[in-house]
Amino acid sequence: MTLLLFSSLFLGSGCKDDKEGQLTLHFKAVYDGEVLPTFSTRAFDGVQQVQFTHLSMLLADLQLLHGTATENLSDVELIDLSFDELAKATDGYTLTIRNIPARTYEGIRFGVGLPADLNAKKPADFVSSSPLSKTGYYWLPWSSYIFMKVEGRMDTLGSGLFDTGFVFHTGSNPLYRILEGTLPLTIEDGRVTDLTIHLDYKKLLEGIDIKSNPQNHNPEDTEQILKLVNNLGNAVVLLQ
Amino acid sequence: MIFEIRRHFILSAILLMTMVWVGCHDTIDTPPDGRDLTHIEYKPVPFLPVIPEGYPALEQPADNRMTVDGIRLGRKLFFDPILSIDSTISCSSCHLPGKSFTDGLAMSEGIAGTTPRGAMSLLDVGFHYHGLFWDGRAPDLEAQALVPVEDPVEMGESWPRVEQKLRNHPSYPDEFRRAFGTKTSGGIDRHLAAKAIAQFERSIISGGNSKYDRFARGEIFLEEDEFNGYLMFFDFDPTIPDAECGHCHNAPLFATNGYFNNGIQTSTDLFSFPDKGLGTVTGIASDNGKFKPPSLRNLVFTAPYMHDGRFQTLEEVIEHYNSGGHFSPNKDAFLYPLNLTPTQKSDLLAFLLTLTDSTSIRDPALQNPF
Repeated sequence: MTLLLFSSLFLGSGCKDDKEGQLTLHFKAVYDGEVLPTFSTRAFDGVQQVQFTHLSMLLADLQLLHGTATENLSDVELIDLSFDELAKATDGYTLTIRNIPARTYEGIRFGVGLPADLNAKKPADFVSSSPLSKTGYYWLPWSSYIFMKVEGRMDTLGSGLFDTGFVFHTGSNPLYRILEGTLPLTIEDGRVTDLTIHLDYKKLLEGIDIKSNPQNHNPEDTEQILKLVNNLGNAVVLLQ
Repeated sequence: MIFEIRRHFILSAILLMTMVWVGCHDTIDTPPDGRDLTHIEYKPVPFLPVIPEGYPALEQPADNRMTVDGIRLGRKLFFDPILSIDSTISCSSCHLPGKSFTDGLAMSEGIAGTTPRGAMSLLDVGFHYHGLFWDGRAPDLEAQALVPVEDPVEMGESWPRVEQKLRNHPSYPDEFRRAFGTKTSGGIDRHLAAKAIAQFERSIISGGNSKYDRFARGEIFLEEDEFNGYLMFFDFDPTIPDAECGHCHNAPLFATNGYFNNGIQTSTDLFSFPDKGLGTVTGIASDNGKFKPPSLRNLVFTAPYMHDGRFQTLEEVIEHYNSGGHFSPNKDAFLYPLNLTPTQKSDLLAFLLTLTDSTSIRDPALQNPF
């Protein structure tokens, strides 16, 4: 009887479909398609020039898609793309997800920011190892996490003097955006699949008048910041 | 008879060996691993800290949970100059309870002169999970507590000597036994000492009784000037200036996890800061000139201000931020001329003073036990 039970356990274990692989996501900041290290100078809207000093975002509900089903990869990640050195900016921010069922997926989906249920919480609700414990990503007047930070300084005259700081922080539920990319993505048993995700900050800032409105902390002035989050769809590019 | 001779020979040999063994050690009473402590009861009682409403959980390392005896020992070590080479400097020399655990000096004084930076307040330090010291070089309190002892300016001592002093002390071995279950005095080491100090420091928690706390809980109203300052501090009202304070000094701790260049040093490039701060630790150029924002709670007790204590008063601090600070490439983008009126500056100051809570300053459990 014992032998029979053991045998069936052994057989059961042997028949289990546990083929799994790894997905490595490489998030990179680019500007007009070129790798974007922080503090590098980029042309912006005519004679103006910009240098970015901080680029980061919260990513939520990262999923792979197959048919109408989804494979959940991660609830929340803080993606920091602020790298001074070209080599590090070229490598970007790497996110590794293991033990993904091996199969071919049709796409990837993630939110930039936080869904309303998570955004209703506060940093004090999380342990210090969670990205959501970071008080620097919470803005009290909005009762919201800061979904995305784009910070830098501008040379408004093209003279080489970067004397105007700019800060675009997105946050609050209406500014949460879900992005979905369709591409065949094959996870193979025991192997690593790479996917590169570019965030093009030139496209992200398309139509933004940094010089006239270098900050977005007025909750009643959402036109500019809505433009920015609505640019996300064009600014994020998937590369295999 | 042969038996008797053999017995005497054996006893003599044992005596000789004992004499030789004793000759290699300090005292006859002290075995090589120190005084036996197992007769002292080790019965740790967990310490349950009182956490103000809205605060995060107080996380404790799995191998250093707070206990009543651990904190009692840590408190003694914190206030005892035994840690310094000439027994003149203790942790409390730079972290005085009456000054909200700072020392009132621009640069702290150690056994060999002046340290390069001022002492940070220890109020709520147990909630700071993203590096300690102005430059974040210590990952946690246990690591931090090891540093000042061997700093040549601060305490100028060596840990091996401190360990010897503690092992040979008339009362500390018993207290280490009660705190950590140390079986012999020889088991006392720097890591246990640091753990005890860290436990005590984690117990330095705001009382949650500041005017701001009571306002945040809906118990009281702020005065008009305080409320205006509150609106500017956190940018609640777009019709009045945003003083941009909350980015680095967010509630409830009035600090954040990040490091910032707050425009107090001029540098034409990323490499010429007089004090590189975080950059010295990370080696990343854009981290140069960045420092950990201290908690603003009890700031009325913590003058002078900034890592180098350059500002004597809160008015000077507000004027600095109102000016937009000095130029450097990585100066935080939230620093720009605010153009606050004298009334607005006064209102901001009024709000800052609502962060005052003398509960921890007067708490008998946080005072010098000697």
